[in-house]
Amino acid sequence: MALSPGTDTYRLPCGRNVERLWEDLDAPDEHGTSCPHCQASRASLQLLRQATGELVADEAEPPAGLTARIMAAVRADIRRRDLLELPTTEPGAARISAQAAATILRFAADTVEGVRARHCRVDLDATGAVVELNIAVDSRTFTHPALEQVRQRVETAASRRIGWPTVTLHLTMTDVFEA
Amino acid sequence: MTVTGTQLDDVTLVARARDGDAHSYEQLVTRYEGPIYRLALRMLANAADAEDVTQEAFLAAWRQLGQLQEDAAFVGWLYRSATNRCLNVIRSRKPLADSTPEEHAASGPDGKPEQQAETSAQLAALSTAMGRLTPEKRACWLLREVHGRSYDEIATTLGVSATTVRGRIARARAELAEVMSPWR
Repeated sequence: MALSPGTDTYRLPCGRNVERLWEDLDAPDEHGTSCPHCQASRASLQLLRQATGELVADEAEPPAGLTARIMAAVRADIRRRDLLELPTTEPGAARISAQAAATILRFAADTVEGVRARHCRVDLDATGAVVELNIAVDSRTFTHPALEQVRQRVETAASRRIGWPTVTLHLTMTDVFEA
Repeated sequence: MTVTGTQLDDVTLVARARDGDAHSYEQLVTRYEGPIYRLALRMLANAADAEDVTQEAFLAAWRQLGQLQEDAAFVGWLYRSATNRCLNVIRSRKPLADSTPEEHAASGPDGKPEQQAETSAQLAALSTAMGRLTPEKRACWLLREVHGRSYDEIATTLGVSATTVRGRIARARAELAEVMSPWR
């Protein structure tokens, strides 16, 4: 079709712009049906509409394994983000993954009879390690001093086993169980 | 979207992924890697580049989930990131002078000759015509006409007004139709 580009809209030699033609593609007015410029352009636009439909329906699949590659990158990112600094006097850094630290602390809490550690989140702030620990306790044997025991063992594990001298422990009893 | 069985809606998956749940994020990846890959493939006409852009867009989205204001905005955000990455790839190709999208497409849309053979003549003509549009016009046209994104979203993606987007789509349509003339 003969167009005069360079302006805001594309006009045909008859004065109609292509947008108007597109809007009235299935219901052309009298000029649209008789004008050869409009007829030619309409045929092109109809072809375009058809080909666009094919493009919409075309489901070229991503290469096999793309999901796995994306998720490997995501998981590597999680591991990197999860690293917590350990105190060291040496020039090189020492770090521990938050998950590994949580596992050690959960294990310490589990050594108290009638206690099972559940959610454990470890973070660092200016004061030292901050630990959120949720526990479930045996409803038949639990007594209050067990909570203090949990606190002591978690703090000891944090300082002696991991190397964090200062620990703020937020301990929550979230459930009971019957062993 | 209907929530049935283990199929969770996007907003739930995004909220869980934001809490660090990689499994939920994987479901989002599975759901949207196809459309994002196809957008990149049509923008770049090169399967390897399209794959890179898709991977980068999903990794960047994962890293920035915490900054997302609304969980419902995730998909639009993904399209935006992928589109801008495609435009950057095209800009970085520029110094290679005459490297046109058509040349990149020489081995077919995804490099598989058997699929190329199945592609209709019209679709092939359209792919060639798309390669002649400026990258910005191609992005506007694809996002609207093929991926059904809104004018406002496309405008935000490209940092222009919705009016500019409408204008670019109209011009793209006219240019594409011109190439698709039946008697050419």
